[in-house]
Amino acid sequence: MSASSEARQFADEAAERTVVLPKHLHARPAGQVAQAAARCADVTIDLAAGGRRANARSVLAVMALGAVTGSEVQVTAVGPGAEAAAEEICRILLTPETDS
Amino acid sequence: MVGIVLVSHSTGLAAGAAELVAQIAHGVRVVPAGGTDDGRLGTSTERIWAAIAAANTGDGVLLIPDLGSSVLTALTLLADLDPQDGGKQVVLADAPFIEGAVAAGVAASGGFDLAAVAMAAQEARDVRKL
Repeated sequence: MSASSEARQFADEAAERTVVLPKHLHARPAGQVAQAAARCADVTIDLAAGGRRANARSVLAVMALGAVTGSEVQVTAVGPGAEAAAEEICRILLTPETDS
Repeated sequence: MVGIVLVSHSTGLAAGAAELVAQIAHGVRVVPAGGTDDGRLGTSTERIWAAIAAANTGDGVLLIPDLGSSVLTALTLLADLDPQDGGKQVVLADAPFIEGAVAAGVAASGGFDLAAVAMAAQEARDVRKL
């Protein structure tokens, strides 16, 4: 993957994405976001929604964003692999709800 | 992976909390230790020991108590551990029960070590819900 190999060359790589949530950002997706963020050990990932900001690794802070369906969430990733990390977080945020 | 033991007065509360943590933190090793040996409200040293054994894969175990005698029973049990023989592998979290368990579960499933998982649980004290 060219995006990730490029990422390794630039330690100060940064990526920013904005998504519109197809579901509430409740406990389960917040857990998935935090798990994914934990896997990207060298990347600092923040989520922002409705004037609040959360470190993506903190499942409780992500839940406390209170982001509901239709909210805009801004994903900011900084560090080597930021592009791939931001993509992965957005993929989780944009996955429609499969059950309640 | 660090294991998590949820110590509660109530069998149902510990089991339900463990179910919730497992749902949010996929792949985590979380074991409930709730109620007395005959299933009444209270805490059981035997149940907690068994849960620690079930949760420990060699990377340590974080105990998260609900309140009151759960804390006291866990403290008594920790005092009985031999520090030379795995005693440092069991840590008691000073954290809110559900929030701490969820935060610790996510950290443990992410492969963090026992100190980091305990820190994640304890940071839950400072995260507001609203």
